[in-house]
Amino acid sequence: MAKIQKKGNSGAAKNYITRTRAVKKLQISLPDFRRLCIFKGIYPREPRKKKKVSKGSTAATTFYYTKDIQYLLHEPLLAKFREHKAVAKKIAKALGRGEAGDAARLEKNLVPKIKLDHIIKERYPTFTDALRDLDDALSMLFLFANLPSSEHVPAKTIALCQKLCHEFEHYVITSHSLRRSFLSIKGIYYQATIQGQDVMWLVPYRFVQRTGGDIDFRIMGTFVEFYTTLVGFVNYRLYTSVGLVYPPKFNADLDAQGAELSAFQIEGKGVATNGDVSHGDVSVTANPEAQALADRIAAAPVTEEEQPEELQPVPAGEDENTETIDKFEAVAPDADVLPQPQASSAEVAALFAPYTFYLARETPRAPLEFLLKAFGCKRVGWDSTLGDGAFTSNESDPSITHQIVDRTAIPSEDASETVDGAAPKVQWPRSTMPGRTYVQPQWVWDCINQGKLLRPDLYAPGAELPPHLSPWVKAKKGEYDPNLPLQAQELEGEAEAFEDAEEVASEAEAEESDDEEDEEDEDNAMESDASVEAGEGMQVDGSEDEEDDDDEEPQKPTDDWDGIDSDAESDVSEGEAARLQHQRELEAEATGKPLEPEVQTTKSKNAAVRKKAEKKRKEEQDERDRQKMMLSNKKRKLLKRIEYGSNKRDVEAENLRRKKRKLERVKAAAGAV
Amino acid sequence: MAPNPRKRKAVTRDVPAASDSEEELADGLLDGILSHSEGESDADQEEDAESDTSSVIEGLSDEDEDEGDGTFSDTDPEDGEQGIREQMRKLNTRDASAQLNGVDHALDLDSRPQTDGELDEQEDENLKPNYTVTTDANGNPRYLYKEIDPVYDSDDSDAPETTNTIGDIPLTYYDEYPHIGYDINGKKIMRPAKGEALDALLDQIDIPKGWTGLTDPATGKPLNLSEEELDVLKRLTRNEVVEDGYDPYPEMVHYFSGKKEIMPLSAAPEPKRRFVPSKHEAKRVMKIVKAIREGRIQPYKPPSEEEEEEEERVYYDVWADEKPRPENSMHLAAPKLPPPGYDASYHPPPEYLPDKNEEVAWLAADEEDREKDYLPKSYEALRKVPGYERFVKERFERSLDLYLAPRVRRNKLNIDPESLLPKLPNPEDLKPFPTMCAAIFRGQEGRVRSVSFDPHGIFVASGGDDGYVRIWELLTGRQVWNVKLSDEDAVDAVKWRPTKDASILAAAAGESVYLIVPYSILSPDVEQASRDILDAGWGYAASKPSTTTNGVTKEPPGKWARPGSKFESKGVLVQATVRSMVKIINWHRRGDYFATVSPRGQSSAVAIHTLSKHLTQLPFRRLKGIAQTAQFHPSKAIFFVATRNTIRSYDLAKQELVKILQPGAKWISSIDVHPGGDNIIVGTYDKRLLWHDLDLSTKPYKTLRFHQEAIRAVRFHQGGLPLFADASDDGSLQIFHGKVVGDLMENATIVPLKVLKGHKVKSRLGVMDVDWHPREPWCVSAGADGTCRLWS
Repeated sequence: MAKIQKKGNSGAAKNYITRTRAVKKLQISLPDFRRLCIFKGIYPREPRKKKKVSKGSTAATTFYYTKDIQYLLHEPLLAKFREHKAVAKKIAKALGRGEAGDAARLEKNLVPKIKLDHIIKERYPTFTDALRDLDDALSMLFLFANLPSSEHVPAKTIALCQKLCHEFEHYVITSHSLRRSFLSIKGIYYQATIQGQDVMWLVPYRFVQRTGGDIDFRIMGTFVEFYTTLVGFVNYRLYTSVGLVYPPKFNADLDAQGAELSAFQIEGKGVATNGDVSHGDVSVTANPEAQALADRIAAAPVTEEEQPEELQPVPAGEDENTETIDKFEAVAPDADVLPQPQASSAEVAALFAPYTFYLARETPRAPLEFLLKAFGCKRVGWDSTLGDGAFTSNESDPSITHQIVDRTAIPSEDASETVDGAAPKVQWPRSTMPGRTYVQPQWVWDCINQGKLLRPDLYAPGAELPPHLSPWVKAKKGEYDPNLPLQAQELEGEAEAFEDAEEVASEAEAEESDDEEDEEDEDNAMESDASVEAGEGMQVDGSEDEEDDDDEEPQKPTDDWDGIDSDAESDVSEGEAARLQHQRELEAEATGKPLEPEVQTTKSKNAAVRKKAEKKRKEEQDERDRQKMMLSNKKRKLLKRIEYGSNKRDVEAENLRRKKRKLERVKAAAGAV
Repeated sequence: MAPNPRKRKAVTRDVPAASDSEEELADGLLDGILSHSEGESDADQEEDAESDTSSVIEGLSDEDEDEGDGTFSDTDPEDGEQGIREQMRKLNTRDASAQLNGVDHALDLDSRPQTDGELDEQEDENLKPNYTVTTDANGNPRYLYKEIDPVYDSDDSDAPETTNTIGDIPLTYYDEYPHIGYDINGKKIMRPAKGEALDALLDQIDIPKGWTGLTDPATGKPLNLSEEELDVLKRLTRNEVVEDGYDPYPEMVHYFSGKKEIMPLSAAPEPKRRFVPSKHEAKRVMKIVKAIREGRIQPYKPPSEEEEEEEERVYYDVWADEKPRPENSMHLAAPKLPPPGYDASYHPPPEYLPDKNEEVAWLAADEEDREKDYLPKSYEALRKVPGYERFVKERFERSLDLYLAPRVRRNKLNIDPESLLPKLPNPEDLKPFPTMCAAIFRGQEGRVRSVSFDPHGIFVASGGDDGYVRIWELLTGRQVWNVKLSDEDAVDAVKWRPTKDASILAAAAGESVYLIVPYSILSPDVEQASRDILDAGWGYAASKPSTTTNGVTKEPPGKWARPGSKFESKGVLVQATVRSMVKIINWHRRGDYFATVSPRGQSSAVAIHTLSKHLTQLPFRRLKGIAQTAQFHPSKAIFFVATRNTIRSYDLAKQELVKILQPGAKWISSIDVHPGGDNIIVGTYDKRLLWHDLDLSTKPYKTLRFHQEAIRAVRFHQGGLPLFADASDDGSLQIFHGKVVGDLMENATIVPLKVLKGHKVKSRLGVMDVDWHPREPWCVSAGADGTCRLWS
């Protein structure tokens, strides 16, 4: 006979361990345990059978894998932590004795230095694993690179983060692996594809970050400690994979002058560089200023040649690109869509390559510089107030083809007055340079996301910008897509229903809409004394009202019918309508007059369409309800859960469509006025 | 410190006390004069005198005791004492003598001339009687005498004060004796102690050495202190050095001097190491020198911090020999954050911006309840975009998630909802079934409780709260016949006899069941056939009266009678009365029997009536539970009775219980048997419609719950269409397709078809009854709103 097994000695009860027990087992303090978990990437697990694991108690507990904790017992870091604790005691003792010098010496010499190299290898056995986990690391480092130093965040850490971030950016620029970017209200999202892995990170706008009370910087600091090591090794691997020397030379003086990216000197590894380096001019020579000068000289004739090129609508490279993958577009709408690779790095490298950009001083220089360079632009200049390291800081440089500005132009009546020097001093808000394109920063982002140069006139300074859309959203079936026209998306009869609803609502909102229209007219800002204009406005409104009245007379009964959504009733109403029609015909026959065609107002047409659609929908709904009636309870609940998501999506989409329709209506009304 | 203030205090306390007593003295004197009485002050004085002398007396008594003079009786010493007291008063205390002697009053008078007037008054008063007459508590006169004032010429004052009781004998006689004479009893009066004697006495009593009068708290014995100890105490109190001969400032003695001694303390010779350089040290120094020369030891230079940093960060290719993670590892990578949507844009399409209500709702919501942690906002230019306030917080929360949140791999629900839904036959294929209201029969007052189609499908009978039975023509919706059966009771049930050869309507009002032949709407031959059927039973019951075993005529369960000429003229031909209110009537398919159910009548709840014999039988002596409804099997001799919770089927031929069905309902309202006989539908007041397959199980095959309110009636179509309907208090009828196949292997298919709405809900009652047309897919329903509706 088999031995009777005791409960709680095997299986789930043994495989999981609570946090308290884990801490006890490791004999470390909770903060140390936390640090260890962050470093080692150990996270709690959710047991499938919680009751068995917690032995019947229902209290909320965090469970770890017992094996995970078992492995931690042999972790070299644990010994380091213990050493650290011993030293901390010594330091505390020295300080207690008032021997500050001793304490400093102890701290300097005895405090163990924690190295996380082995953990990196352990947590990310392959480089792809590391790349996959780079999102959080980069976001965190970019945040810390933009934080002010404080007692929680030492300046050294910030400097290190900045350095690593710039190094990574240099790699992205060199390898042309940046794919998309997005200006969000939170910050700027970037997405790069590195060795087949999509890495997305978020960079905050350069403002002082609010660091509220409930943020524990010790935890963040632990993460940063780990992430700096990780990104350091990743950078090393990335640099060496494209044949660059890591770490790149860092010019502290230039960095102090705000050169940022230009403070780094990227060097190729010896002569034997592979093909990756060939298309990127990575080896920036010793003196960037001299280099910039040389570049400018080299670029000057090119730009002149480019002018005619710009006029051509189709880039010349179209027929050359035999190697690139052609884009397959489905002809029939119901066919399946196969995923195709995105733009290759060659295309990315060519996007801005022929142009020279100049950033006005109100534009964010760091992201623009990074983006432009990553998409092939080699000559980016900016105002000298934005920092050092520009290709040119002279705005009137003739080689500049595009100027990115974020200010409206000031009418230049005094432009002639300034022309007294030898060279015409061109300054953006006052005057423009002929042959130069002035665009707002969003143009750069939209160009990148669409993979082609867009019409710059839409993005001209002062123009109302087109909406900036996230490049990651792929509209699914039933979701609202702002790129498509409204008519293509809305359900049958929805627009009509909306219009009718608006008509009803317009009565109530009449006064408000009057005000709105008045505002749009822009000619009676002050309502009190602009009686004449107000009168004009009234005339227009009055005529509209009359129309409305006419329309609403027949509208009324239909509305009433809507109230009762009984099949029988609606059938009766239809029968009634038919009967009325017949009666009219009879009358016409009797009087001998030709039958007047029924006045088909838009409203009645709307009503008909809407009613038809509604009926159809109702029928479908009835059918569905009938089917649901026959489901078993279990399946019905499952269906309810499935439908919850889709219903939510539908409601959201409908809400968006409604808003869009409203906006279109307002716009149409404004256009009419 | 402490004793002095205490002393001073004692003094200060004494002083006012003394002054008080002086004042009191003066007052006492005055009082005494005014009241001619010995005031308190006098007594005080006496007491004072006594206290003054008491110590002496005590001393004397002590002396007596010491002498061991135990022969004195108790009174003697008192007398002696008193005498001595008096003597002493004479001798010592001036006040006492002045006051005690009556003679002294003259002196007082002389010394105080201001009281002369008062004295005269006293003399006048002496002439008056010295009493006043009052009445006492009993009403008798009571003489209240004034106090006798022992004035100068009172009798008492004549007797000389006896100060010496020894008589008029010179004391010198007794010089040699210890006593000074004899008292009236012949006892010796001892000589009072003189000063010398007291001194001698005190000299005789020796105080032990060191007596302090204190008790040792440790031992409880009197504390004696020796001379030395007292001396120590005295010195201590004076802050002097306690010990005798202690020199607080002695002369300094130099133990160690700067003087060098000639002789060493130890005779050992000086060791060599004291003056020879160490070879070992030289060796070690040479080692270092050598290392320095060879460059092994660098002169120390504090490293700068930057260098340290540089040293620390050494990067190399960690993934030089990368091996993929083993397949079986339990690692779950952290999920990536989702990419931003359109509404996160700094300049989103305008439709993504929240309107006013949404914005208010977002702001009002708790931070954790918000679906999105940001509010979409549009900025017209990039330069106007502010910093995002929650950036650090969001990153921090993400970090927390990374190390605190449990990770679970969850399978995403990827089921096409359409696949879950069953494939139902198209409603078009299930046609015909009633879809709309074809006619409304109005005219009833109050609720319509019951409806019934006649077997030809031409007429509809209805009965309601107004006590009328009405018959309507189906096609026209016209009322063709009616009769008022009762003034008080409602017509609870109407039911046509199911055979086509005759047209008989059974209606129940109160405790009676009326059998009606509405001849005015019938053809004469049908009328005659109907009358024949009803009349056949007359006399049968009379010829065979039911008797019990002991010969006593028991009251029959039903009385069959003619209802009276008024009713008979309308066509109501037979009245059968049972013991309690009849609620349900159900005919046997052949029309010879009908069953009535009266839920209130316990043992007579279910009755089976035989039409041909005008006989009423009670099949159940005792019924478990309250009967709700009863029905005949359509083909077999089986009878179904539904109580509140169960349905029992009885074999009428064998007279035994066949089956108990347990629908699991709380309260069954109605049942109906499928024409095939193997299926039963059950409607319940707990909103359920249950389909029982008798061959399958005692539990329901399907439970349908589509009504919001109780179900009142259920009915199968009896004419071959696979339809059934239920009527509910929510004012709706539901029509189902319920197909029963002859094949035993196949279950019944039930398909919901139609919800028929139209009846209004009145006082929480909707549709009360439903009945199907015998052939067509039409049904008629009775509503609580006083209408019947035909649905086709």
